[in-house]
Amino acid sequence: MSTSARRRRRANIPAGAAAFLWLVIVAVPLYILVASTVQSRSSYLENGPLSLPGEFTLDSYRRVLEGDFPRYLLNTLIVTVACAAIVIVLAVTVAYSIIRTRTRLSRRVFQIFLLGLAIPSQAVIIPIYLIITELQLYDTLLAIILPTAAFSLPVSVLILVGSMRDIEEEQYESMALDGAGPARVLWQLVVPMTRGGISTVGVFSALGAWNGFLFPLILTQSRENRVLTLGLYDYIGEFRVDIPALLAAVVLSIVPIFTAYLFARRQLINGLMGVGGR
Amino acid sequence: MTTAPRRRTGRPGIAWAVPGLLFFLFFAAAPMLIVGYLSFTQWDGLSNPSWTGTDNWDRLWNDDTMRQAIALSLLLTVLTWLFQTPIALLLGVWAAGRQRTRALLSAIFFLPLLASSVALALLWKTIFDPNLGLNAQIADWLNLSSADLLGSPRGAFAAVLFVTAWQFIPLHTLLYQGGARQIPQSLYDAAALDGAGTVRQFFAITLPQLRNTIVTSSVLMVVGALTYFDTVLILTRGGPGDATTIVPFLMYRTGFQAFDLGYASAVATALVITATAVSLLLVRLTGFSKMRSTREGI
Amino acid sequence: MRIRTLRLLAATAACAVATTTLAACGSGGPSRGGGDTLSVWVYQDGSTVIQEEFVEKFNETSDIKIDLVQIPGDNYTDRMRTAMGSPNAPDVFFNWGGGSIADFVEQDMLVDLTPILDEEPELKDAFIPTILDAGAVDGRYYGIPMRGVQPVILFYNKTAFAEAGVEPPATWDDMLHVIDVFLDRDTVPAVVAGADPWTELMWLEYLLDRRGGAEIFDRIRNGDASAWSDPAVRWMADTVKELVDAGTFGNNFRSVNYTADGASTFFAQGGGVMHLMGSWEYANQLSQQPEFAAEDLGWAAFPTVPDGTGDPGALVGNPTNYWSINSEVEGERLDAALDFLRMHAEPEYAQALIDNGDIPTTANAESLLDSHASPEFARFQYDMVAEAPSFTLSWDQALPPGKAPALHDNIEKLFGGQMSPEDFVAAMQDL
Repeated sequence: MSTSARRRRRANIPAGAAAFLWLVIVAVPLYILVASTVQSRSSYLENGPLSLPGEFTLDSYRRVLEGDFPRYLLNTLIVTVACAAIVIVLAVTVAYSIIRTRTRLSRRVFQIFLLGLAIPSQAVIIPIYLIITELQLYDTLLAIILPTAAFSLPVSVLILVGSMRDIEEEQYESMALDGAGPARVLWQLVVPMTRGGISTVGVFSALGAWNGFLFPLILTQSRENRVLTLGLYDYIGEFRVDIPALLAAVVLSIVPIFTAYLFARRQLINGLMGVGGR
Repeated sequence: MTTAPRRRTGRPGIAWAVPGLLFFLFFAAAPMLIVGYLSFTQWDGLSNPSWTGTDNWDRLWNDDTMRQAIALSLLLTVLTWLFQTPIALLLGVWAAGRQRTRALLSAIFFLPLLASSVALALLWKTIFDPNLGLNAQIADWLNLSSADLLGSPRGAFAAVLFVTAWQFIPLHTLLYQGGARQIPQSLYDAAALDGAGTVRQFFAITLPQLRNTIVTSSVLMVVGALTYFDTVLILTRGGPGDATTIVPFLMYRTGFQAFDLGYASAVATALVITATAVSLLLVRLTGFSKMRSTREGI
Repeated sequence: MRIRTLRLLAATAACAVATTTLAACGSGGPSRGGGDTLSVWVYQDGSTVIQEEFVEKFNETSDIKIDLVQIPGDNYTDRMRTAMGSPNAPDVFFNWGGGSIADFVEQDMLVDLTPILDEEPELKDAFIPTILDAGAVDGRYYGIPMRGVQPVILFYNKTAFAEAGVEPPATWDDMLHVIDVFLDRDTVPAVVAGADPWTELMWLEYLLDRRGGAEIFDRIRNGDASAWSDPAVRWMADTVKELVDAGTFGNNFRSVNYTADGASTFFAQGGGVMHLMGSWEYANQLSQQPEFAAEDLGWAAFPTVPDGTGDPGALVGNPTNYWSINSEVEGERLDAALDFLRMHAEPEYAQALIDNGDIPTTANAESLLDSHASPEFARFQYDMVAEAPSFTLSWDQALPPGKAPALHDNIEKLFGGQMSPEDFVAAMQDL
C-alpha cells in the first residue's frame, strides 16, 4: 500500500467519528435484544433493559421453542425455498430469452419488467386478495409464495440480464457450431457462466420471502400456515409482557439468516446489493 | 439450407420468456388493472363490488385524512433521504478502506439488515416502552417528566423515521462501500500531489465519482419510504390519532380495518401512480433502460 | 357485470399459473373447512384454555372434528372479517354480537338460531335472557354466549388506597379528591393503555352513560348521528380533557399497550392505582401477577357524576362473547356445529368458566359463585350484572366495523390533546 493511500485512509477523521457513533447506535439495541432474553421475566421487569442479566437463563428460549415456533420456522423455510426456486427458474429463462432474441418484442418484455420494479406490493394487495380468494388459495402457503415470487421477478430479471450480457458472443457461436440447441446452451454455457448472478438472485428472493410480512398478514390466518414474521407479530398478544420470550423469538427468527450469512457472505451481500438492480 | 444453420445457432425464442412473463403479469400487472377498476366501485369484501363511477376519486381529492397522509408520506420520504444519505455516504466511504477494524465494524453495522422489519419493529417497540423500556431509564437519568415518545405525534413520527433509518442505512452503506471501492486510487494520488486535504478530496473526487451510486441509493430510499408499512403497523399503528398514518398505512386501514375496499383501491392507485412516476423519473436518470452491464465486483 | 368477466378471466389465468407452479414446487395447499372438520375461530387470550378443553372433549365423541384456530392480538376483528370475505371463512367464530356481526347478517352469512332456540326452551332458558338478547340483531338470535360477562369495572389498588387513607370513589367529587391525593404522592392516579384506544373508550362510555343515560348511545347506535350533539357528549369530552390535563393518567400513557400487558403490569407494580377495565382484568392479573391479585386488587363500580341523569347501576362493556355459525355450514356439519354450541349451555362449561375466574352467563351461575377463586369478586360482579338497568355494548363493537378506525383515531386525539372537546364532538357527528 502506498504511503499516500495510507495517509488518505488514516486521515478520514469525520467518517471515523461517525462510524464510532453509529457503532454505539447499532450495538446498544442489539445488546438489549440479547441481554433481555437471557434473564427471567421478573428480573427484566425489575432491572430494566440496560442492566446486566443477574442470573443467566435460557428459559425464555425454551418457552418460545415449546410453542409453535418450530412450525412457523418450517413454514417460512418452505415459503423461502419455493420462492427462490420459482424465481430462479423463471428469471433465468426470461433473461436468457431477452438476451438472445434481440427483437423489438424482447425489448418490450424487458421494459415490462423494468416498469414492474416500480409496483409496490402494498398497492396491489387488495386485488391480490381477490385473486387468491378466487383461486381458493386463501390461508395456504401458496397464497404467500406466488405473489412474493412474482414481486421478486423484476429485480431478478434485471440482475440476470446484467450478468448474461457478460458472456461473449464467440462462446455462443462455438456452442452453436457443436449443434447445441437453446436448452443445451442454457444448461452448459449460460447457467455455469452466470452462477454468481443466479446465487445472488436466489439469495435476494429468499431474503425477501423470509422477511415478507404483508402477504402473510392479509392472505393467511391459521396457525398451521403462519410464517415467522406473522408469528412474531402475533407474539405481541400471545407473550404479552413476557418481554424476554418475545425478544427471544426475535433472536431466533434472525439466527437462521445469520447462519446463512456466515456461510454465504458474498452471495448475501451481492443479493442485498441486488436490490439496487446492480 | 438457409434455415438449417440459423436453427443451429441455438438461439431461444421469445417463447422462453412466456412462463415468467405470464406469471409476473398475472400477479403484479393484472392486479394493477384490477385495483384501478376497483377504485371506481364500492366494495365491502363480502358482496360483489358495485360500480359507483368517480365517487371514490371525488372523495379522495377532498379527504383531509388522505391529504394529511400524502403530506406525511412526502415529509417522511424527504426526511428519510436527508437523514440516511449523509450517514450512509460517510460510513460507506469509510468502510471502503481495507483495514481489519473497518471490516469488523462493517460486519456489525450489517446486522440489522438480516432481520425482518417485523422483528426490528418489535425490538424497538420494546425499547420505546414508556414504563419498562430504555425510554423509561433515559427519562429517569435526564429527569424528564415523560418518556412517552410514541405517544406524541412528533415523537412517533421521529421514531418511524429513526427505526427505518436504523434498519436501512446498512444497505445504503453497502452500496456506497461498493461504489467507493471502484474509484481509481490514482485520482487520490494525483490530488494528494496537488496538496488537497481529505475534505477537498472527498468533495472533488469521491462525491462526483459516486454520482451513479447516489442516484441508485436515492431511488431505493425514495421508493422504500413511500411504501413503509410493517414498521408503522407495529410501532405506532398509524397513531397517535393519525399522526403517522402515511399513504400505505391509510390504504391498509381503509381496506382491511374499515373494509371500504373500493375507496382503499383509489388510495392504492394513487400510491402506484406516485411510485411509478417517481421511479420512472429516477430510473431514467440512472440509465437502467440502456440495458448496460452494471455488474461490478464487490 | 364487468367485474364478473374480470374475475372469470383472473380465475382462469390464475388456475393455469397455479397448476404449473403446483407441479413445479410440489407443495399443495391444504384446504380446510370442508369434509369432516369444522374450523372454529376464537380470539386468543387467557380464557382460550377453556375452548381448547371443550373442543378436545367434543372431538372425542363426534365424527366431525373441530379445528380450533386461535387468533391473538388486537386485530382479531379485522382478520376474521378478511377471512369471512374468502372461501376459507371460518365455520364457527367468536364475536361480540351487535355491530360486529351486522354486516354478515345483512349478507345472510350467518345461521339464524332463533328457530332452534324456540324449539329448545331448555337451551334458551339456560342463559340469562338479557345477555342472550344483547347479541341479537333486529330481534333475531345469531349467537350463543360462550364467555363470561365482561362489565367494565373500576379496579383499584387496595393497599395503596389504605396507605393514602382514601376509599374507592362513589361520587365524582370523591374521584377528583382521590386523583389529587395520589398526584400529591407522585403516583399515577389511573392507568390507561393509550396505544389501545378501546381502553380510553371505557372512560368515555361510563362518563356519557352516568351523565346522560344509556339512551344517548342507543340513539347513536341506531343511526342517529345527531345524538352526538347532546350536551352530555360535550361534557364527557370536556371532563376527559380536564382529567388528562390534571395528570390523572400520568405522562406516559399514550404509548402503553393493553394487549402487551403494559398497563396491567404497571398497575400491579404500583405505578398507578386505578384501572378502569373489563372484568377479564381480574383473570388476567390472577394469571400474570397472582400475588397482586390476591392481596392488593380491589374493585368498585364507576362513580356517579354531577347532574347525572343516568342510572348509577348502569353498565358498559361487553355483555359477553358469542359463537356464530357460518350459513355455508349445512347438513351433518351444521348438526355438529349446533351440538358444539349446545355444550356451552351445560353446567360443566359454566363451572370451567368459574374456575378460570369468569362469571358465566348461564341462569344457574349464581349457584356456582362460591366455587370462584374469589367468591367476593364473583358475587360483586354477578350482582352488578343482574341488577343493571342497562348494559351498553362497547361503542367500537356496537357501531358498524367501518366506523371503528375513525372512532379510535378521534378518541386517541382527544386523550392526546391533539383535538379539542369541541372538535371531538364535531368529528363524532361526521363519523
